[in-house]
Amino acid sequence: MTPVLGEFLGPAEEHIAAAVSSGGELDYRAQRGVVRQLDRLVATLTRYLGDLPLPDALNPAREPGRRGDARAAPARLALDRAARILHPPAVAADADGDAGAVHPVVAHLAAAADHLAAGRDLLRTHVADGPAGPQTAASWWAPVITSEPVSAALLGELAGYTQTLAGWIATPAMRRRISPGAPTSALLTLCAAEPWLRVAGVHIQAAQRHYYPSAARSLLGAIPVNAPPPRPPLGADEPVAELCERIPVTAERLRHAALAFAARARWSPAATSLSWRRDALASAITGHASELVLRGLAERADQLGMVPLFGAQLRTAAGHLTRAWTSWREVAGQWDIVTTGAVRGAGLTPVAAEIGDLALRVGRLAYSNPHWTPAYSADSLTRDPADLAQTPGDVVTVLAAVHHAADAISRIAATDQQAVITAADDRRLYVPVRLLSDKYDIPYPYTLAPRQHADALLAAYHTAAETAASVTTALDDLATAVDAPSSLLAAARQAPATARQQLPAHHDQRPAPPPPPAVAPVPGRTEHALRKLHIRDPALLLRAAVIDQAARDLVAEAAARVRSRDTATIPATRTAPGTQQAPDRPDRVASQDTPLPLHAAPVVDQPLTTSTPAAPSAAAAGHCLIRGSRAPS
Amino acid sequence: MVNHMTPADGIEARLRMAVGLPQTLAAGFDAFEVIRMTARDWQDRAPGLFAAFMTVADAAVDGREALTIAPSLPSADGAEPRSTMAEGIDPGQAADTLAAIASMLQDRLTAAAAQAHLPDDQAACQDAAAAAGRICQLMARDDP
Repeated sequence: MTPVLGEFLGPAEEHIAAAVSSGGELDYRAQRGVVRQLDRLVATLTRYLGDLPLPDALNPAREPGRRGDARAAPARLALDRAARILHPPAVAADADGDAGAVHPVVAHLAAAADHLAAGRDLLRTHVADGPAGPQTAASWWAPVITSEPVSAALLGELAGYTQTLAGWIATPAMRRRISPGAPTSALLTLCAAEPWLRVAGVHIQAAQRHYYPSAARSLLGAIPVNAPPPRPPLGADEPVAELCERIPVTAERLRHAALAFAARARWSPAATSLSWRRDALASAITGHASELVLRGLAERADQLGMVPLFGAQLRTAAGHLTRAWTSWREVAGQWDIVTTGAVRGAGLTPVAAEIGDLALRVGRLAYSNPHWTPAYSADSLTRDPADLAQTPGDVVTVLAAVHHAADAISRIAATDQQAVITAADDRRLYVPVRLLSDKYDIPYPYTLAPRQHADALLAAYHTAAETAASVTTALDDLATAVDAPSSLLAAARQAPATARQQLPAHHDQRPAPPPPPAVAPVPGRTEHALRKLHIRDPALLLRAAVIDQAARDLVAEAAARVRSRDTATIPATRTAPGTQQAPDRPDRVASQDTPLPLHAAPVVDQPLTTSTPAAPSAAAAGHCLIRGSRAPS
Repeated sequence: MVNHMTPADGIEARLRMAVGLPQTLAAGFDAFEVIRMTARDWQDRAPGLFAAFMTVADAAVDGREALTIAPSLPSADGAEPRSTMAEGIDPGQAADTLAAIASMLQDRLTAAAAQAHLPDDQAACQDAAAAAGRICQLMARDDP
């Protein structure tokens, strides 16, 4: 089974609950252990916040387009202050080997920290540095993770942990857990960290003011590690139950493979008509068999006296499938003529290599022959509806399997369509010369596909992708209505509709901002000023820290713009006042925001006016200095 | 009166009478086209055999593609392959016809591969023979 986030968040919550409800004396060694593990927990929570595109509730003053780590400033800073208090004694305890790990409370906190760290590692598998930029989406789940409902659900979890821990430290029982005569430093550390944890919890909790559906929490727990599950071997005799277990696994592998390959579809030798032809063939067969399955389910639903509307919806979805597989048949027909050319040894894409498994399994679900294959000798009657699903629960299970298959086909349709469009743009679509009429006297095996052939192929893909999407929409509705296991697919598809798309877009050419530090910088001027006034109120100190952080952000942003300007090579043009200007280039618009250093004041041929001149580009500044008319002495 | 003389008969005759590698390659290319077109004609006629005929058409494209890049394949001679559609036959007879053409293709291409001098011709014949073999398996009416 593929690990999912819920398998880490759930135990983390349980261990924290067990730690805070544990009675008994906490001796000095155990207190040091608590400090050590709290330090780990705080560090992990800070990293979670750094990863998340946090909703504006954490900092409404920030505009929505700003980076998530900037919006998380108050919570991260509060956690940072807690970490500053916890970390030194935690390191010391670790170095002394005196972290009281055997105490149940410490053991529970350690386990919670381990689970939370593993959960974060799981989430991080969904982003990767690649040709498209740093930390770009690397899975179909990435937009789900960054969607507002799922982000809010995760924040709710993190806020809960933080507040539970802060509340625990603050309890009188905790403060009484001290042996007479024992050192008090660890307990004092915990007491000093507690207000910061409490404030952090409040700020994270603020995100929850946005209502998010309960489905979001289920979705959060269901986020899988971004790794394909093992390929289920094709059994000689897979009963319906086994087919329904394995079809989702096969579909998941195909979804994973489709996205993983999409990034290299332009240059991979396997990105050929052979692979796309296989995909179209298997998609047509899978869709054809899926339609038979849904019609069988509709009949069975009637027999079992299930809600009539359900049967009607099944038949509607079957109708969508008819349109889908006929469109795939059309795609396959177009590939009869059009080709990217035969390339011996190019191999198949990962999807093309495995999509036959899906066609075979859905076919075996549809037909009564357990050894069904797409061969004449395996011709078989369709499966008896009562054999397909004995109970209403079985109807839902089989529906979920078909839903998974359709979802995978839909994803493949989208990626294949894009790859074929790219191939057409790259003029890689050909036809065999021998299939053309005699008037073509071309001494090569292939020639560029005539426009009408390429257009027909692309149109067929367009229809296939559209009909595949309509199938998934219909099955999403059905699965949600009966709470099928595959309803997760529907929820995952809907969540990104509200996603903030915080991951850098491929077209974003701005310089990548530096990664957020694990621990925020040292207290700034404002915070120092408050401390000099002996202000200890964490809320006030946090506001000061936020102001300091905002100042740092501003300076960093301005520095980045200056760096960007310095690398620009486009010479500035000078425009006389009153003359018509061409629309501003982005670099010029950006440079207007940057205050001019005195030594780089612009030189213009006309007299200085009181109007604010546009900042020159770096090249222009250099040019001005060479001319020397306004260069500083 | 049922017309039993079909393009299948013609293509089988061409395959049988082909002399030398270029003729065998040209006849093979056209034979795969006949199979492809025939399979496409039949794929919607029997819902239970949709997958079978679809897959045969795909395999026929594989075979034709393999032969397309054979260096010794001559230019087209103007003869256009046609579907083997004949009146009054059932899917089983269509499958038998396709299996027969594919079987002959496999034999002739396997032999041609052994006689070809150029490695690319050999590879083309071997790949195309493998595709013909798959069509034989797909269209066999009994389990092999």
